[in-house]
Amino acid sequence: MLDEILKKFEEAACHPELLKERYLSEGKQIVLVAPVYTPEEIVHSMGLVPMGAWGGDLQLQESKRYFPAFICSIVQSIVELGMKGAYEGVSALIVPSLCDSLKVLGENWKYAVPSIPFIPMTYPQNRKPEYALDYTLHGYERVISDLQKATGKVFSEKLLRVSLQIYNEHNELMRETVKELAAHPEISAQKRSWIFKSATFLRKEEHSALLRQFLEELRKQEAGKRKLRIVTTGILADAPSLLKILDENGLQIVADDIAAESRQYKTDCEIGNDGLVSLAKKYAARDNCSVLYDPYKRRVEALVETAKAVEADGVLMVLTKFCDPEEFDYPLIRNACNAAGLPIVEVEVDRQMENYEQAATIIESFKEMMESK
Amino acid sequence: MAEEIKKQRPAPDPNSAKYKLNMIAKKAYDDAFAAKERGELVGWCSSNFPVEIPETLGLYVCYPENQAAGIAARGGGERMCSIAEGQGYSNDICAYARVSLAYASGAPAEEQPMPLPDYVLCCNNICNCMIKWYENLSRELHIPMIMIDIPFNPDYDVPDAEVTYIKNQFLDAIKQLEEITGKKWSWDRYREVMEISGRTSRAWLEATATAKYVPSPFNGFDLLNHMAVMVTARGKLEAAEAMETLLREYKENHEKGVSTYRGEEKHRIMFEGIACWPWLRVTAHGLRDRGINMVTTIYADAFGFIYKDFDDMCRVYAKVPNAINLEYARDKRIKLCNDNHVEGLLVHTNRSCKLWSGFMYEMSRQIGEECDIPVVSFDGDQADPRNFSEAQYDTRVQGLTEIMQSRKEAQNAG
Ligand code: SF4
Ligand code: SF4
Repeated sequence: MLDEILKKFEEAACHPELLKERYLSEGKQIVLVAPVYTPEEIVHSMGLVPMGAWGGDLQLQESKRYFPAFICSIVQSIVELGMKGAYEGVSALIVPSLCDSLKVLGENWKYAVPSIPFIPMTYPQNRKPEYALDYTLHGYERVISDLQKATGKVFSEKLLRVSLQIYNEHNELMRETVKELAAHPEISAQKRSWIFKSATFLRKEEHSALLRQFLEELRKQEAGKRKLRIVTTGILADAPSLLKILDENGLQIVADDIAAESRQYKTDCEIGNDGLVSLAKKYAARDNCSVLYDPYKRRVEALVETAKAVEADGVLMVLTKFCDPEEFDYPLIRNACNAAGLPIVEVEVDRQMENYEQAATIIESFKEMMESK
Repeated sequence: MAEEIKKQRPAPDPNSAKYKLNMIAKKAYDDAFAAKERGELVGWCSSNFPVEIPETLGLYVCYPENQAAGIAARGGGERMCSIAEGQGYSNDICAYARVSLAYASGAPAEEQPMPLPDYVLCCNNICNCMIKWYENLSRELHIPMIMIDIPFNPDYDVPDAEVTYIKNQFLDAIKQLEEITGKKWSWDRYREVMEISGRTSRAWLEATATAKYVPSPFNGFDLLNHMAVMVTARGKLEAAEAMETLLREYKENHEKGVSTYRGEEKHRIMFEGIACWPWLRVTAHGLRDRGINMVTTIYADAFGFIYKDFDDMCRVYAKVPNAINLEYARDKRIKLCNDNHVEGLLVHTNRSCKLWSGFMYEMSRQIGEECDIPVVSFDGDQADPRNFSEAQYDTRVQGLTEIMQSRKEAQNAG
């Protein structure tokens, strides 16, 4: 039974193109949502299907006409997929302005993939003061009006509050799943990754239904033998070759600070009378993330605290090549982990990487570091 | 060889714009050191942070980008970058940030020393990289960070909601700075600074616009030197006067038919991107040896900080080069190319700057088509000398020259 559910996660995670076809054949309209935070709830509330666009593991050819080599492969491969027609049939792409590479993504997209409208979501970085809420709302209004134009759907406050609820429930389930998985070393890193990855493609209510079944089954299962416990941090950590190395070395991910994974689900929305304001407050409440202004770099301490709380043996930094938001944080994270006596290593990945030998060597020595402690 | 040439140079004329501008830049560092010694607080400030704020408050601030450029131009870029890399910073990070973080950690830089900061003033209208860099400064040095977020604008015009957001942050920043430094904000003084900044900006715009004359009365590489004053000191009276001197000199040059560009100006190009400071001489010679004058850059337009009031100032700061969308950025450049009779575009694909280079391929294609000029790019970096190849630069510039030459011949024949 557990395997059957995992199979469903795997299918959605590994074949978003089939999912896209299914949604389209059901008469639904799809809107792509780029990293790191997009107001998916708005898309959802308008009866549209938000599907995550975090790029894909493929060689870059067409996108080279637009990007110099030193832009991260997430951004480049989104455009590559767009130019190759992988997104055909979708109604729009929403890109938030949270890092420099995302800013240029939208500008290039307009010319590289003119058939799919680009919708910018401009967020305030100084997001805590009261006045920043108005600016976030202005961004939402822009998104709503562009979505209405692109899809013909209309926005309703009432439906937004329903969606906010669905997203909160999904957040809660994702957090429970992470906790439960930490108690089950027998579930591989690869399987864990399918759960997260499928969440970016599936409608949240569908994903929540699967999570509920999964949790129920998992709780019945006897926990496997203890493995070395690690916390991962970075933007993306879904490369099958990397996950395979973790699994082969007997490392269990017991918590993560990955933008595409737990960072998405840690902040809930306090649903008030005004749905949009509630959503704007949710954005303002987000913290501890490399693409959000963080004057005291609390992210660093938060990560160390998480690692301690879950009794991790070490921290694995999965650095997406050319991701400067993460690259600036790495030395601070490394120093803080060292000071806390937590083994830490960094593995650099990108979506075109085929040779994982260096990563394997690093992870093997990481394992030794942890074992010898 | 370089030393020899230097020694033979006559003493600079203290009434010349060049001398005055260099002194202003130098004085900013001296004043900051003196302030630090007196026990006053000193800030570090990002280049497009509204200079009106520290100027009105009478604060002493230094500009890390300017420092990093100075260090790189004098040969210290690789050393400082390597120090930062040794501390764990990836060599993919903007080289200005690497140089600066190395300096902040205590690595000496005789090339351009600067007092360490007591607070940092960050504005991300040119890049979000700036936020990350200043966060690290703030954390590592245990000092407060004042942050003005000016988002990248995906539209042509600046929406009112953005102006309001920016204005509120400006007012917040003033309040924070009053608390940190004990200095008081005065609206009268602000209006004076605004006037002076407008005067300096008008002189700059007019001076750079004299490139419309053929031949141009100046060598565009001059602008790369003078812009430091535009960035850091345009609210100071000396800066306004020096820029007006510069304008007068360029006008006189034109009347006399002379130029700071030595040799015959055979071709006129626009240069796109930050200068390759470590390779300044090589890049300049590569042009001069072929009779190419870089007559304009986006800097010519970028420092037109002319506004009528506080709100308008907020709007202006949302329109700096890296804060605007492709179409607006493109149109500004097309105007510069047309106004200044540009015959070719040379693009620096700057490994340090994701935002500047990230949509440059498409934008320069569009400029090339619209202006009907050839476009050639080369790989480089504004401060890390390792990311530049002299041979590639030479080949690309040669290619550009040949196209411009053959077009000219075809025109003459036709
Ligand atoms: S946060 Fe990093 S990985 Fe994500 S788009 Fe920006 S540069 Fe790329
Ligand atoms: S070079 Fe580019 S990335 Fe570096 S500080 Fe300047 S604008 Fe930012």
